[in-house]
Order: sequence, then C-alpha cells, then structure tokens
Amino acid sequence: MDLNYSPEDVAFREKTRRWLEENVPRQDLKTLDERKAWHRTLYEAGYVGMLWPKEYGGWGATPMQQAIVQDEMARIGAPPPINGLGIGFIGPTIIVHGTDQQKQRYLRKMLTAEEIWCQLYSEPNAGSDLASLKTRAEDTGDHFVVNGQKIWTSSGPIADWGILLCRTDLKVPKHKGISCFLLNMRQPGVEVRPLKQITGLSLFSEVFMTNARAEKDDLIGRLSQGWEIAQTTLGYERGANSLGRVTRYAISYHQLVHAAKELKRGGRPLIDDPVVRARLGKMYAELEVQRYAGLRVLSGLNKGETPGAASSITKLSYTEFEKRFYETALEILGPWGQQMVAGEDFEEVDTSSGEPGTFATAFLWSRAGTIYSGSSEVQKNIIGERVLGLPKEVRADRIAR
Amino acid sequence: MDFSFSSDQQLLKNSARAFLDEHVKPALVRSLIDDPRGESEALWKEMAQLGWLGLSLPEEHGGSGLGMVETAILLEEMGRAALPAPYLPTILAARAIAEAGTPEQQQRWLPAIATGSARATIAFLDNDLSWDLSTATATRAVGAPDRWRLSGAKRFVPWAHVADVILVPARSQKGLSLFFVDPSTAGITMSPAPLMDVAGRWSTLALDQVSVTEMLGPSGQVGALLNSVVLCGAVGAAAGMLGAARRCLDMAVSYAKVREQFGQPIGSFQAIRHKCAEMLLEVENSHAATYYAAWALDAKSEDHAVAASVAKAYVGDAARKVCSEAIQVHGGIGFTWEYDLHLYFKHAKALEAMYGDGDHHRELIVRQVAG
Ligand SMILES: Cc1cc2nc3c(=O)[nH]c(=O)nc-3n(C[C@H](O)[C@H](O)[C@H](O)COP(=O)(O)OP(=O)(O)OC[C@H]3O[C@@H](n4cnc5c(N)ncnc54)[C@H](O)[C@@H]3O)c2cc1C
Repeated sequence: MDLNYSPEDVAFREKTRRWLEENVPRQDLKTLDERKAWHRTLYEAGYVGMLWPKEYGGWGATPMQQAIVQDEMARIGAPPPINGLGIGFIGPTIIVHGTDQQKQRYLRKMLTAEEIWCQLYSEPNAGSDLASLKTRAEDTGDHFVVNGQKIWTSSGPIADWGILLCRTDLKVPKHKGISCFLLNMRQPGVEVRPLKQITGLSLFSEVFMTNARAEKDDLIGRLSQGWEIAQTTLGYERGANSLGRVTRYAISYHQLVHAAKELKRGGRPLIDDPVVRARLGKMYAELEVQRYAGLRVLSGLNKGETPGAASSITKLSYTEFEKRFYETALEILGPWGQQMVAGEDFEEVDTSSGEPGTFATAFLWSRAGTIYSGSSEVQKNIIGERVLGLPKEVRADRIAR
Repeated sequence: MDFSFSSDQQLLKNSARAFLDEHVKPALVRSLIDDPRGESEALWKEMAQLGWLGLSLPEEHGGSGLGMVETAILLEEMGRAALPAPYLPTILAARAIAEAGTPEQQQRWLPAIATGSARATIAFLDNDLSWDLSTATATRAVGAPDRWRLSGAKRFVPWAHVADVILVPARSQKGLSLFFVDPSTAGITMSPAPLMDVAGRWSTLALDQVSVTEMLGPSGQVGALLNSVVLCGAVGAAAGMLGAARRCLDMAVSYAKVREQFGQPIGSFQAIRHKCAEMLLEVENSHAATYYAAWALDAKSEDHAVAASVAKAYVGDAARKVCSEAIQVHGGIGFTWEYDLHLYFKHAKALEAMYGDGDHHRELIVRQVAG
C-alpha cells in the first residue's frame, strides 16, 4: 500500500495545471460553437479521449492520468468537454463491437466533437426495465425502418448521431430480440422535443422516430446482439471516474464553509453554532471518504483490474452522498441556499455536472445521479445479486420465461 | 499509487485470519466472559511469538518496525474475531514510550512488551470523559523534580487490571505531564467498570496521593504526544470496528441466503437485499477510510490528523449501522445471547465511544478545515 503519486504522475499533474492555467477560457462559453472550440483545444492537448487507443485517435493514457486531468479541471473550474456520452462509452462500444468501417467513419469526429452523440435507450415505458423497450426496427432489404419513441435523451437537441437500442425480433424473449444501431439524428424521420428539467434547463429531450432510416452498415455487432452490447455500455457508464466529481464537491464544501462564516444568525456567525459545526464535520468526513474510495478504485483500474459489478458500489456511494451533501448545504444556508441566480451576496458554485450554478442548482442536479444510468434501487439489486450472491427476486417477467 | 495491500501485508492478513479463526472461535470469547482476567495468557504468548506484539516496535527493541497499516490489518482481524485481549492499549502505550521515552525507559518496557511478558495501558479519561486531554485532564501531580503524588480519578481505563504499567496523564505545575504508574502502588484503588462489550475490560482508578517517580516525555508538554497517541487509537478503533462490521455483514448475508419465509429465501426480498447492499457499501467505504488514515499516519502526510478523525467519525457511524442492521436481518435469533452476532455488535459499540466518539472527531475536523 502506497498512496503517494508517482513522480511521473506528479510531473504530469504539474504540466496539466500549467497548461490549464494558460488555456482555460477567461469568459463563460455561451454558444455550442464556443464549447466545441474549447473541446477541440482540450483534445489537441491530449486531454480528451485519453483512454482511447492511439490507433483510433486517442492518447493511450493511464486511468490515473485521466483522473488527474479531471481533477485539475475541476480545481480550476474549467468548462468540461462536450460529447461526454460519446467519448465516455459510445466510442468505446464501437471500438469493442464495431466494424473497421464504422471505426473509420465515426470515431475521429466523435473525439473532435465535430459530431455530437446521444444515447437512445430509455423509453416512456422502459426505464429500469430497459429490455422491455418497444421501438421497432424493420428490415426493408436495403435498410432498417425505425418507429417508436425515446425519452430523457441527454444532449438530444444538439446531437448529430445516437446509439439506439430497438427491437428487431418480436418472437423471442425480451432480452433476445434487441439490436443496437447508430442512428443519424439529422433526418426527417427523427424529431427531437426538448423537455424542461427541474433546474429549469432543457438538457434532455424526447425523440420521436417515424419511419426513420437506419443503415445496415450502422448495425453494431450482430442482429439481436443489442442487449449484450448495452451491458458493455452500461458498465462504462457506471465505472465513470469519481475523482473529479469529488474535487467539485470539495470546492462546494469550502464555499459552504465560507458562507457559514459570513452569514450570521442571532448575531453570531453560523460557523460558531455547534449544530452547524457538527453537520459540516459529518459532511467533510463523508466527502473525504468518497475521495479515499475513489482513489482505491482508481488504483485498481490503473493496475488493469476491472471492478465489474463492484462499480455499482462506487456509483451508489457518490450519488447518494451528493444528495446528502446538498441537502445539508441547503439546511445550513436556509433561503440563501435556494436562490437560483448568483448575485452580489452569493457566489456561483460548481455543480457536479460541471455546469455553473448556485447551491440551489447543485442541489437540484443532485437528484439526477441516483436516477440515471441505473437508479440506486437497481444498483442495490446488482450489488445484492452479483456482488453478495444473494438469491434473485421473484419477478413476473422471470416467471413468464 | 497503490491502495491494495502489498504481498507481505496480504500475507499478514491471511495468517491473522487463519490464526484467529482457529484459536479465537466464539466459544473461546464466551469462555472468557466469567474469567477474572478476561483474557488468555496462552493466547497472548502466541501472539508474541507470531510477532504481533512487537509488530510496530523498533527493531532494536525486539520489534519488526512496521507501521500503522500493518497494525490496522491485525486490529481489523481482531475486531472480526472480537478478540478479548489488551492489544490496542498495550501497543498505544508502547508507541508513546517508543516515541518519547528515554533509552532506559525504552529498554525497560519495549522488549518486555514485544515478548509478551508485559502489558500496558493509558489512563486517558478523567471524570468528565473528554478526549480533549490538554484541557480536560483534572488529575493532579504535586511535587517535583523526581517524585510526585498523583490524585484524581481515571475512568474506563482499558485492561488496567492486567497491566504491568499504566501511563497516567496528570496536570503538574508545569502543565500536562505523563507518568509511569505501577498499578500496585499504595493509594490506587482499582474497580471494574464493566461495559456491554464481552471482548473488553475496563476499570475505574481512584488515585489518592499515589507516589510516582518517573515521567514519560517532556515535563508539562505532553499534549502533542497524547494527541498523536489518541489519533492512533482512533484509527486502531476504526480498524476494529471495520472488522466487527465485516463479520456482521458476512453473517447477515449468509443467513439471508438460507433463511426462508413465504416460501423463499429472505435475501430475495428487496427490503433485505437492499439493506445488505447498503451494509456492503458502508463496509467498503470504511475500509477505504481506515487504511487511508493508517497510511497517512505512517507517511506523516499533511492531512494525517484529519484523515484519522475522518476514519473514526465515519467508521463509527458505519459500523453502528452495519452491526445493527445485521441484527434486523436475523430477526428474533439476532436478539439471543446464544447467537454470536451480539459479540461483534457490542465490541463495535465499545470502540465507537473510545479514542473520541464521532461528535468529538467531527469537531476536530471542522477546527482543521474551517477554523
Ligand atoms: C438527468 C437524466 C438524464 C438522462 N439521460 C438519459 C439519456 O441520455 N439516454 C437515456 O436513454 N436515458 C437517460 N435517462 C433515463 C434514465 O436512464 C432512466 O430515468 C432510468 O433508467 C430510470 O428509468 P425510469 O425513469 O423509467 O424510472 P422507473 O424505471 O420507472 O423507476 C421508477 C422507480 O422505481 C424503481 N424501480 C424500478 N425497477 C425497480 C426494481 N427492479 N427494483 C426496485 N426498484 C425499482 C426505480 O429505482 C425508481 O425509484 C436520463 C435520466 C435523467 C434523470
């Protein structure tokens, strides 16, 4: 056991920090073009697609280096790259399951954010039970025709391409008849309707597909292999790096401490109130434990270990922590914490999504993490069944099979 | 960076697990409940032979010179077995002697501790049970320069009844000092202060003009030394609670796989399965917290004091949750004396209150990170 960063990692961190200090945009990025430009700058510096193999335009870096970059970006408050879904797992899915032609066509433009990607999985009636999805793709001989509806599609309004799960075989049990396609979002048969979220922003959407066209060349893997492919994808999503997140929480924490020193109640600063102190102490302990646990997972990844189902523990841990943390922050701050616009007396904080906002925005955002990419309840099922080996629950769809 | 144990550390863990599984079965723990000493001399000698007693002591005094990570590995396994033995108090006292003792004091005590012929403890708490020793110690030392008389009361002194030496913090004219006290000295009244934990023993000490001649560390300036020993105790206790919690989790999971109600194993009910998943999360986070802190103490990293407090505060809460949920998962059998779960449940509870409870360490954390 040795928790020191290696001299190479320390040097890499130094270099990254210097680069960011010199290159981070001085002003808020407003337009999509500005964000794409920043993304490209990051990519060219070697800070996007870090884990991708070099032959596909990636940088072949170590998980530790990637974590360091995310950490340093959080520290300095750098805007995150875009196309996170594409680079985080759609690309890697294509690398594992795609044809050479698909790799040639899609990967580089994904890395450079020339094309933005979204994930077309969830449907109005297929959420946690994703395999019950109903969107259909029918083989017309020349191409597939897609009909159905997706929902909660992040980045839908700005996406050029989507990774799509749909049903291609109605005669087999539900997990067996699903296929995975790459779908062109810029076509007449695809309509994207933004949905407003509890934060007031519209970062996800509904997607309606009416006789949309999916090319045969854009089938990933074999026909009906979709569920298996989706499992790889979800694995990537859950294994996502938590170190940069923890740094964002830490920054928020120190902003909270700062506020607790400034704000007075009953004539004395909040920080002098033993109840407030106890809450702050508890949150710091939990925050640090998230960091230690993150380092533990990271050191395993760096040695080439794959956490498998155990990554559910990580995801459950930090998303539930995030909710508790912002609940506590709002409890301490009272109505100050519920302001949606940063003003003179109230500074901006980093939300876990990397979007700037107030404590209120961060608080609202914290509700998302325990729902998306496998809700907390689903994670606990996975941990119970696959990590602890507890018996599976009796489920109607299992009996039916 | 590598968060996993080295092969030597893993070997230590495996051999400790094997030894304790074989020699410290629940039946042994139970057999010591009515024993006046509450520990086994034979076991203590075997632990000495295994090198556990000298594990963290300097090599020139018969130790192995290993650190807090290795110590935590042992303490975790001991907690998992609810081992009734004065291990943690003895090594904390040894640590204080190794850190601040004169060569003669080290020579007098450390080899004896390493070979298992001496046990030691520290009487941290006064009547008000505060772990802020610098401000709270009320026991007085009168006299000087080489003979003092101690008067006061010490509470919940772990394993004092088997100790060959008790380190007693007391306030002298110069400030907080630490004294070597021979438990058989006139003026000491020792009475048992039993707690619910069957794997630990505590005593109340009444000190009435107890004559002492030896100090440990600089006269009037042992606040820092004591604080650092309390932090080691905190991390050691976290390791013990982690072990007890893991034992409770293992028992709950095994039980949930075989106990059937409504025609199916109870582990197939989400209410039970989700509890077990949450317990595992707490245990894994506690592992990260304990070993991060142990490493930080060894490495004297900048954040070592915060990390120790984080570990104690976090693991205390986590172990409480895990051990009590384990009882819930077991239903009625979990409430019986016959079933072993309560051994670990109570052991964790005792450690939760020692070396500063969660509230104490949360306050220390805030002082350090927020001022
Ligand atoms: C901010 C955000 C962004 C998202 N982005 C995308 C995206 O880009 N692409 C995409 O495809 N999807 C996306 N999603 C959708 C997300 O994956 C789903 O919301 C999620 O899978 C849950 O499905 P659901 O909303 O239908 O809820 P349901 O599955 O209906 O769940 C409702 C409740 O029932 C519980 N529940 C369900 N099944 C079980 C069970 N077996 N045991 C115990 N409890 C259970 C759930 O935990 C939850 O509490 C996003 C969601 C959010 C919030």
